[in-house]
Amino acid sequence: MSLRNRIAVYYTAATAVLIALVFTTVYLMVEGVVYRHFDQELTMAAARVVSITDGRLNDRRPMEMEDSDREKEDDEHRKHRRERLRTEFIQYSAADGTPISRSGNLGLNALQVKTGSTATIYFNTTVGGLAVRQIQLPVEGNGDPQPRWISVARPLGDAIAMLLDLRSVLMLSFPAILITLFALTRAIAAKSIRPVEEAIMAAENITREHFERRIPLPANRDELYRLSATFNALLDRLQEAFNREKQFTADASHELKTPLSAVQGTLEVLIRRPREREHYEERIRFCLLELHRMAGLIEQLLLLARHDAREVSATLRSIDINALIREVAERQESRAGEKEISIRVPEESSFIVAADREMLGIILDNIIANAVNYSPRSRTVTIRTGTENGLPFCTISDMGKGIEESKLEAVFERFYRVDASRSIGSGGSGLGLSIVKKLADLQGITVRAESRPGEGATFRLLFPYPSDSSSR
Amino acid sequence: MRLLIIEDEPGIARFLKEGLEEEHFAVDTAFDGESGLELGMSNDYDLCLIDWMLPKLSGIEVCRQLRKAGSAVPVIFLTARDTLDDVVFGLGAGADDYVKKPFAFEELLARIRARLRQNTPTTGPLTAGALWLDPETHRAGCNRHDLTLTPKEFALLEYLLRNLDRVCTRSRIIEHVWDIHFDADTSVIDVYVNFLRRKLEAAGCTGLIKTVRGVGYVIRTPEANNEEKSNE
Repeated sequence: MSLRNRIAVYYTAATAVLIALVFTTVYLMVEGVVYRHFDQELTMAAARVVSITDGRLNDRRPMEMEDSDREKEDDEHRKHRRERLRTEFIQYSAADGTPISRSGNLGLNALQVKTGSTATIYFNTTVGGLAVRQIQLPVEGNGDPQPRWISVARPLGDAIAMLLDLRSVLMLSFPAILITLFALTRAIAAKSIRPVEEAIMAAENITREHFERRIPLPANRDELYRLSATFNALLDRLQEAFNREKQFTADASHELKTPLSAVQGTLEVLIRRPREREHYEERIRFCLLELHRMAGLIEQLLLLARHDAREVSATLRSIDINALIREVAERQESRAGEKEISIRVPEESSFIVAADREMLGIILDNIIANAVNYSPRSRTVTIRTGTENGLPFCTISDMGKGIEESKLEAVFERFYRVDASRSIGSGGSGLGLSIVKKLADLQGITVRAESRPGEGATFRLLFPYPSDSSSR
Repeated sequence: MRLLIIEDEPGIARFLKEGLEEEHFAVDTAFDGESGLELGMSNDYDLCLIDWMLPKLSGIEVCRQLRKAGSAVPVIFLTARDTLDDVVFGLGAGADDYVKKPFAFEELLARIRARLRQNTPTTGPLTAGALWLDPETHRAGCNRHDLTLTPKEFALLEYLLRNLDRVCTRSRIIEHVWDIHFDADTSVIDVYVNFLRRKLEAAGCTGLIKTVRGVGYVIRTPEANNEEKSNE
């Protein structure tokens, strides 16, 4: 069932219950008013009958008024009384309901007596096919322990017709109102959910090719506005992630295909004709270098992919970072030596931090290699460890040209290079620092780049747990 | 035929230059977009090979600006970007062809030849009377006699044959046959033309390369030659 039909059905059903309740109440109230009027008249008539016939109930005389009483009345009353007599049925019954005497207008008909009740009751019944309202009053019979009954009935006449009319009007208007209401609600619901349908259509048009499209915001700042705005914000974030992913794939493929093309082309040109031995050796050495670079890049990409897939988790242990730094510095020695760069390691023999040994090794490897890369010739790369606000830290500083303040965050992005021209000079893959960030995050280590242009750059690692002072 | 290569990756630029020079092209290289555009604007190249991702100025931008300046030089993009969108975008920016990295050198060579052929709409060897020259196989000859030509002689003859019946000025010949490192001394052309004439005569093709005094050289088709003679 569509939303608008469901709204219409629910709404109509609720209204149906409500209207049924109101109609029933109205009907019962009108009925009550009508019957109360009858019942008052009947009570008075019954009281009159009791007072008139008191003590003479055993007589078989028809229940008529005394002549003397009749004379007391003026014409107006007389007329009224005659009228009443014609339409008022009176009956005196024994305990078992057999009529003892009855008014003349009843003829051979008898009023119904409900012997089960001992109180005064009012009810509807018929006498000779005529609908009547009747009172039934128990009275003391001459010393008889069983009560006898006085019944007075009056034809309902117009009253019953009016009640029936009222009932049929209510019964007919009930479905008519509901049908109208259903149609109206459906139309209104359709109108009010049209923005939803527009939003659906707009959302269906947002595809891979047209990711920049958004749902138009409705004019009213209502729930639909908020829904659309929320949805658009979600799309913004999705698009951003999508673009980042796309950029990463493009960058990765560029970084892999460039050395691959160089190797393939070089070898293809090389075998086109015979050449000098030195020429072969030089070109093959170049190809090996490129392949080496590719292998390194592939390894880094796999490392990133594994951590993206969360296949690797950090195992934090107490490790000696100073010993690790010395190890890494030794590995970087040959490259640093080429540029006559000296790597200054911390003076203390050991400094304990909580970290994953292998991951911290990769982090230090990358940052120190980076520092060596960006250092000018014959300068120093300084590595320090220490405690700051009770927490251990490690800084790696170079004396290069530094990083602009606006780019301090961006250096941790994948394939980001401070120097816009890729691959010339520095030679890194552009993945190193993004791997550093990833691995640091896994261990709860905060990594920050600090720099003032012209004064070199410092990378600071802040460890989350205090170092074990006793083992220092 | 003189080519411009704009490629920031030195390894790729080197093998392209080497391989294409061995195919008797004159090759200039630029390592960034800005200097590449400058070269492209100031010289009359027969074809440009441009990498997409370049420092300073992207290959797309170089291509756009060349086109904006009215250059109709054929441009082939060399790039690692390989999605359909990239290809469409690259061709839309004014490139004539698109070669995805990594590519086979032979394929690139074939594409370059195909582009150059569009200026001289023939396939197979270039001919003038009994003289023929096949750029694909690097052979030239007169009737049944093969000619043994040095790369520069070959390139000069190819250029003259591609511009059959059109007079090639000395400066144009310099531009299309020698690369930028050549000191623009046009007298060297006269020397090479003399070498060529001697080799052609030895093979039996006499008087094909005409001197147009004060302008340059031309090879005429036999029909045009006859017309000229009858006018005399």
